[in-house]
Amino acid sequence: MAVVTGIYLLYLFIPIILLFVGSFGENWTNTLLPTGFTGAWYLELWEDGSFRRAFSVSLEVVLATCVFGTLLAVPLAYALYRSASRGVLLAARIVFLLPIAAPPLVLAFGFILLFSTDALPWLGSIWLLVAGHIVLTLPYLLQTLVGDMRHLRLDELELAAESLGATFRERFMDVIVPLLRHSLGSGLIMVAALSIGEFQLSNLIAGFLYRPYPVVLLQAFYGSTGFACAATVILLGLALLAAAGGALAARSASRYRKSES
Amino acid sequence: MSLNLEKVTFTYPGTSVGVFDIDLAIADGELLAVIGSSGSGKTTLLKLIAGFETAHHGSIRLDGTAITHLPVRERQLGVVFQSYALFPHMTAWQNVAYPLKIRKIASQKRRHLAVEALERVGLKGFEERQPQTLSGGQQQRVALARALVFQPKALLLDEPLSALDASLRADMRDEIRRLQREFSISTVHITHDQEEALSMADRVAVMEAGRLVQIATPLELYDQPATRSVANFVGEANLWEGETASSTSVRLPFGLLATAPHDYAPGRRVTVLVRPENITVGPGPDGINVFKGGIVRDRFLGAVRRYDLAVGEAVILGQTGIRGDIDAISIRPEHIRLLPT
Repeated sequence: MAVVTGIYLLYLFIPIILLFVGSFGENWTNTLLPTGFTGAWYLELWEDGSFRRAFSVSLEVVLATCVFGTLLAVPLAYALYRSASRGVLLAARIVFLLPIAAPPLVLAFGFILLFSTDALPWLGSIWLLVAGHIVLTLPYLLQTLVGDMRHLRLDELELAAESLGATFRERFMDVIVPLLRHSLGSGLIMVAALSIGEFQLSNLIAGFLYRPYPVVLLQAFYGSTGFACAATVILLGLALLAAAGGALAARSASRYRKSES
Repeated sequence: MSLNLEKVTFTYPGTSVGVFDIDLAIADGELLAVIGSSGSGKTTLLKLIAGFETAHHGSIRLDGTAITHLPVRERQLGVVFQSYALFPHMTAWQNVAYPLKIRKIASQKRRHLAVEALERVGLKGFEERQPQTLSGGQQQRVALARALVFQPKALLLDEPLSALDASLRADMRDEIRRLQREFSISTVHITHDQEEALSMADRVAVMEAGRLVQIATPLELYDQPATRSVANFVGEANLWEGETASSTSVRLPFGLLATAPHDYAPGRRVTVLVRPENITVGPGPDGINVFKGGIVRDRFLGAVRRYDLAVGEAVILGQTGIRGDIDAISIRPEHIRLLPT
């Protein structure tokens, strides 16, 4: 078992390790490992305006996806959890399975058709990109939240709060939201990770001014290997940063609620 | 404050399960225990009083004011849940202070009141503890303090001791009773544990298939159950089908039993109730209602011993402190109760 786990971990981490090694190698052509050592590829990346801009666009998109995704997912998950209607539960199941059943490419074509019209001329805007990322990531966040609500037996805690005199708003803010902090944190990490690495949808609907990092990264692969490796390492760093940001945001939100009580 | 239910009826949607024609009057400061087997409707009754469900017919009045259709949060009732339902993200004092926060009591004062309430339930020094770090009994006390701190009009307890182990349960019974008396608050205590109900309540209501079968003091309920099923549910019982032979005797499959004078006509089918502790070992001084047989089952319970004595085809359940052999028992006529079949 340990051997299998070891081999799997090796399989998982070797490409990442090679990316790091490659990003500092001077030359890497037809050899197992690169030759020479240089930090020039990172400098080149830094000096490339399109990468810098893509980096900040990606961060903006992730942040907006997390914020608006949370604002949508928490009340929606609550409504799904409380609903006894079979129709609603069926709809929820469909929404949950949507990202698996319908690939981002399908969604992207739909967006192109709909938002390139004169009535809705929003194709290429950053807000449409955010909306697309929300559609793709919302089911994952919803699933995490609804699962946690069931686990916490939220209905009974809510009844207790209600019997103590709490209004719906008080119950929602004092009991439901703080109790969901853990699942919200882990859900947001997933959302951030998915959003930062999203390529299929973004590549088709992002405008020239708002291309996120993975879309711009594609260009790097047409150049030298070292540059492509450095650009990918930055994407990895960006994903980690976004995930940490998501977790911190959820944690600080829960602390805020706690200090209020 | 008094709590009155008049002809309260409720059925769960799409079923015939619920409660029917419940008439109940709970006096100010009284502790009423509601007992019954699973599915008897006792929890539904609590839900209706608390407002978690709304009665389809009838009315619920609290101190004369109708609360039948009042939202849960406006009823001003303290509820202790079976699982305690403490907020896991709040400390013990924050849990207790929550109803005070809802009532906009200033931060300093609500902390003071919450700490004081925790002291009253014996949890001084546990204020900053998270619920999950407290034992079952301590969580129970926090739940009680939280339900009482805002001076509710009545207290509803939903099987509050069922999650505790046996020894702690006995302590908590006394503790709940002490607090209930201290606060002098009308209380409805739902339980499936008849021992708990008999030991704590001023009166006990027995429910069966959604209906109230009997409401009486614990002593009355034990000594004078209204029906066979109540007798069977409350305490251990010998229940035999028989037929009255005269106004002072009843014929049973294993012999004629002399009874105290009764009002049943001769030849009437009746259920005969005799509690195991009223079975006397040996023939007794007057030699009445003596039955000989052999022990077929013997259970040592510490202070007492419970045995099954086979008399012909019948089995008599007895209870005694005597440890020697038993080959005959007697039953005093005043310990025999006849119930309608």
